[in-house]
Amino acid sequence: MIPQRFEYSAPKTLDEALGLLAEGAKPLAGGMSLIPMMKLRLAAPEHLVDLGRIKDLSYIREQGGSIHIGATATHHDVESSALLRGKCPLLAETASHIGDVQVRNMGTIGGSVAHADPSADYPAALQALEAKLVLKGVKSERTVSAEEFFVDTFTTALEPGEIVREVIVPVDGDGTGTSYQKVLQPASGFAIVGIAARVRKSGEKITLVRIGVTGLANRAFRATAAEKSLEGKTGSAAEVQAAAAVVAQGVEANSDLHASADYRKHLAVVYAVKALNAALSRIA
Amino acid sequence: MATTTITKTEKLVGKRIRRREDPRLITGTATYVDDIKMPGMLYAAILRSPHAAAKIRSIDVSKAAALKGVTAVFTGKDTEQAGAVPCGASLPGLRVPHHHLLAIDRVYLVGHPVAVVVATDRYIARDGADLIEVDYEPETAVADPEKALEPGAHAVHPQWPDNVAFTFHQEGGDTEKAFKEADVIVKQRIVSQRLVPNPMETRGVVADWRAAERSMNLYSSTQVPHLVRSLVAQILGMDENRFRVVAPEVGGGFGAKLQIYAEEILLAYISKKLQKPVKWIESRRENFLCTIHGRGHVDYYELAAKRDGTITGIKLKIIQDLGAYFTLLTPAIPTLSVLMMPGLYRTPNISADIVGAFTNCTPTDAYRGAGRPEATHGIERMVDMVAAELKMDPAEIRLKNFVRNEEFPFPTATGLVYDSGDYSAPLKKAMEMASYDALRKEQVEARKQGKFMGIGLCAYGEICAFGPSPATPAGGWESATVKIEPSGKVTVLTGVSPHGQGEETTFAQIAGDELGVDIDDILVSHGDTSLVQYGIGTFGSRSTAVGGTALYFALQDLKAKIKKFGAMLLESEDVTFSDGKCVCNKTGKSCSVKEVAAAAYRAMKLPPNTEPGLVATHFWEPPNFTFPFGAHLVVTEVDRDTGGVSIRRYVAVDDCGNILNPLIVDGQVHGGVAQGIGQALWEQAVYDDSGQLVTGEFMDYTMPRAHMMPWIESGHTITPTPVNPLGVKGVGEAGTIGASPAVVNSVVDALSPLGVRHLDMPLTPEKLWKLIASKDQAGSNA
Amino acid sequence: MKISGSYFLPLPPEEAYKKLQDPDVLAGAMPGCESLEKIGDDEYRMKMKMALASLSGNFDGKVRITEQTPPESFKLMVEGSGKVGFMKGEGVLKFTPKDAGTEVSYEGDVQVGGTIAAVGQRLIDGTAKMMIKRFFEKVAA
Ligand SMILES: Cc1cc2nc3c(=O)[nH]c(=O)nc-3n(C[C@H](O)[C@H](O)[C@H](O)COP(=O)(O)OP(=O)(O)OC[C@H]3O[C@@H](n4cnc5c(N)ncnc54)[C@H](O)[C@@H]3O)c2cc1C
Repeated sequence: MIPQRFEYSAPKTLDEALGLLAEGAKPLAGGMSLIPMMKLRLAAPEHLVDLGRIKDLSYIREQGGSIHIGATATHHDVESSALLRGKCPLLAETASHIGDVQVRNMGTIGGSVAHADPSADYPAALQALEAKLVLKGVKSERTVSAEEFFVDTFTTALEPGEIVREVIVPVDGDGTGTSYQKVLQPASGFAIVGIAARVRKSGEKITLVRIGVTGLANRAFRATAAEKSLEGKTGSAAEVQAAAAVVAQGVEANSDLHASADYRKHLAVVYAVKALNAALSRIA
Repeated sequence: MATTTITKTEKLVGKRIRRREDPRLITGTATYVDDIKMPGMLYAAILRSPHAAAKIRSIDVSKAAALKGVTAVFTGKDTEQAGAVPCGASLPGLRVPHHHLLAIDRVYLVGHPVAVVVATDRYIARDGADLIEVDYEPETAVADPEKALEPGAHAVHPQWPDNVAFTFHQEGGDTEKAFKEADVIVKQRIVSQRLVPNPMETRGVVADWRAAERSMNLYSSTQVPHLVRSLVAQILGMDENRFRVVAPEVGGGFGAKLQIYAEEILLAYISKKLQKPVKWIESRRENFLCTIHGRGHVDYYELAAKRDGTITGIKLKIIQDLGAYFTLLTPAIPTLSVLMMPGLYRTPNISADIVGAFTNCTPTDAYRGAGRPEATHGIERMVDMVAAELKMDPAEIRLKNFVRNEEFPFPTATGLVYDSGDYSAPLKKAMEMASYDALRKEQVEARKQGKFMGIGLCAYGEICAFGPSPATPAGGWESATVKIEPSGKVTVLTGVSPHGQGEETTFAQIAGDELGVDIDDILVSHGDTSLVQYGIGTFGSRSTAVGGTALYFALQDLKAKIKKFGAMLLESEDVTFSDGKCVCNKTGKSCSVKEVAAAAYRAMKLPPNTEPGLVATHFWEPPNFTFPFGAHLVVTEVDRDTGGVSIRRYVAVDDCGNILNPLIVDGQVHGGVAQGIGQALWEQAVYDDSGQLVTGEFMDYTMPRAHMMPWIESGHTITPTPVNPLGVKGVGEAGTIGASPAVVNSVVDALSPLGVRHLDMPLTPEKLWKLIASKDQAGSNA
Repeated sequence: MKISGSYFLPLPPEEAYKKLQDPDVLAGAMPGCESLEKIGDDEYRMKMKMALASLSGNFDGKVRITEQTPPESFKLMVEGSGKVGFMKGEGVLKFTPKDAGTEVSYEGDVQVGGTIAAVGQRLIDGTAKMMIKRFFEKVAA
């Protein structure tokens, strides 16, 4: 459990950090994913740039009708943010399901999404929220959608030298209900399957359905067939069931010691029902 | 009786006294091996095999040796003559593989130590290990004990192609007859899966050779410092009297530290070679791979019974996964399962066979319960199956077969003598606490609603207080010294080596009551061979029953001496010692322990035939084991949609004889239950076919954690043992032993409407979901 | 661990078969391959640098092609070892004509040992799949 020798910098400004990253250094955020790998020597970065000391990178604020979350906001910050709890409760609820208290106190949203673990919790919510991610390099800044960002297992749209600067989620007004439901792998706490559901109603009619799924496949994705199946309906038990039944349709599901592909697919259906029902019941 | 002015002080024994060891633990000020720092200390890192079976073609250490800061590199060739890892167990015909400290020309498990790099700091040592180039020629490995026994399997040790380390047979009564005359025979294969003990603190060793004194100081995270001293000194040919072993604070052991490990021998050897103190701290990864595992049984059971539920015979074949080599007790562990195979039942006829199989895996050895959880799991599962077969209530069949109160001391078919018991009492109490009849009614309703609700019982018995010396590999007695210092303060030196069990508290309670001194005036010391007279150590729920009894007798010896001094000081022959005072029964005059101590050390005058000082040492040899017992009752519900198990109620009633400290007893039961539930639901050491431990980190090995535990409702019955004057039996392993069968019986009961009669652990949701789904499918097809 | 799957290449079987044995193509397509050096008939020494999320490691290994029956199938063996452990993959590739191209299907076994085996349970399956996908994407490109 002893890492290889590495350089460590803790710059105070983003520009300084980006400069070092452009030279090939690796960002360190909460260290909850990176440091265990370094201790096992599965990761051996030569130079770490700690993002934790950078001023104004750990914020959660409302701006132009959306909520902007700085990369180094911890899972605990997100979970306990009054702003998010009021205006984008799905993200706060999802954060509350991550790991344990220690992990939530250290781990960051930027680190989690950049790591792109196929079983991480945030990506499900970010897909359901159609979140945007601001990626920044020394000379560049671009905004991508969650859909574009999560490319594959541990693979994102980040280019070398780029960091996730912030995550932007929408303000969900009245008429929207959300829920994140997760089956956790008891050893690690990661999701075997996690379903983020976001449903909007106008009168009796469902006008918007977004379902983000994590843990099931090589990356978090939106279950568009299930979404379509429920849009325009009222949300009866049978309709929810029918929508949930297709969440895992056509998905090449992950399989490991903890859950086979078939079991994962089955759980996705069961938890989609739970998530959709909970979301519907929360519509104010 | 003469008048006395002394008011009776309250007894300490029996009170919920908080653990006196806790302040240093919870303030982070305890000293563990890794906290030890010495001037000039070097650090060792061990290179280990990534292959489960391979020949070593060559090892090139040149790059490592050339690394700045590396002091020395050792390979198997360097340490070949130093010795081998010892095994203390002996069985007829046992094949004992010679386990070199470092691999010579082949490795036979992942984690097999291949080389040691010693450097000026632990980072350089670890870097050095990475620079060693080993050319392996991998072979196919065998990781499953049953596959290892198949013809043509890879031979773990080429000299023994059948992978059989030993076979063992034992019988009592006339089993064949019992089976011939049986009304029902129930058979089942039952697996008790391999587990990783995972103490919170991994192992660690600091060896400090002092050439000028020809002395070795070895600090090790061990449960058995004296055994480590005797064996390591012997193996390395060092003087035992100049070999000091210290077990500093030890962060849990569960049997995993009841061993003599290669690293203890290696570090002592290296420290002497380099003439420097050397430290090695085991990583968690190494702990998973290189510290012993527990369980690893495949059991084939057959139970014979009469129509009225009387169990008449048990046949058992154990296939024990031994791993690749033996640690201290490896082959002995399954023999404990045989001893305890009748459980609490009168069954006069037993027949047992063990086949010990070598596999390319970590050795198995004593893990909390050591052989008894496997035995209890087996018999308690089987009894439920017989009950189901006979459509009897599981409580009824147990009550019918228990050894009866008037039958104690009860000789078992396996050759033991159960000391004392009232076996139905804890079961009845657990049923009462849980409102068993109401639960059964609730279950009927739940089933009507399609819910899988289960009620599981387990009545367990243990063999504890190891043990009479003839029946243990290294001596089974224990020792204590009590010193009253000139100031009147009391020091207790015990030969046991507690590492979480709380004896610093319970022993202070015993001494406090006997001497009538304040508990704060008592220090209980242990774990340092240069401080403590010889001792055996802490394992097998023995510390209080054997070590506490040694203490009790040392206290009696000391009290006799106190009385002599008291008589001298009070100038009377008629003196009583109680509550910390010698009282003259005629005059009522008294003197305190403190006054006696001052007189005993000042020695201006001495009682006739009495030496100065107030010290007593007692070595106590127990006449028998003790046999605690109890009952657990568990209510579970299985989620039809996911297969997830939730424990709705957990009732644990234990009878460990007299209770010295209920708080500590509860703590032991809670911890044990957590580990038992862990085995029932989550934990498993999984090897793939090539011998890689795939649950080799906490990311994949599910340790039970606080938030996963049910509320444990504990109760007690008290049946003192006649084996020792304290009447205590031992409780360190009870929870673990009772929990796994209780949980599994409950889940099997929950799923019994689907025709389920047995399930192997761990009861993972996917396993249960598949079963439910397949039965539902079958149901709807029908 | 068993792996299997298939991939469509817009080439006739003969060409697909050839392409998948071309050392330059293999070197370019194997994820992390830094060099591929011929050491015998259908046998190559390979240096690989794997980088996946925060994981990274260097592997020295071999690639071997056997059981050739052009243009229907061959067996591909890849093995490598490094400080973090070793991996071994062995699979049969089958070439079937399909829609003016070729369906390349594979079936085999992946074995992982050492540190990576212990921490990667959750990841090995997904990673193997991803690597194979990337490999074929590069071949097709
Ligand atoms: C015991 C345990 C349980 C866990 N359980 C869960 C769980 O249930 N669900 C879950 O989702 N996660 C879980 N995690 C993972 C946790 O959420 C991590 O915090 C998260 O995955 C990584 O965030 P971090 O801030 O710790 O990043 P780090 O570990 O510091 O970095 C992770 C990776 O991202 C890179 N990186 C970090 N920040 C940025 C950035 N702003 N831009 C670009 N790259 C960046 C790093 O270079 C590194 O490659 C668990 C972790 C542990 C240790």
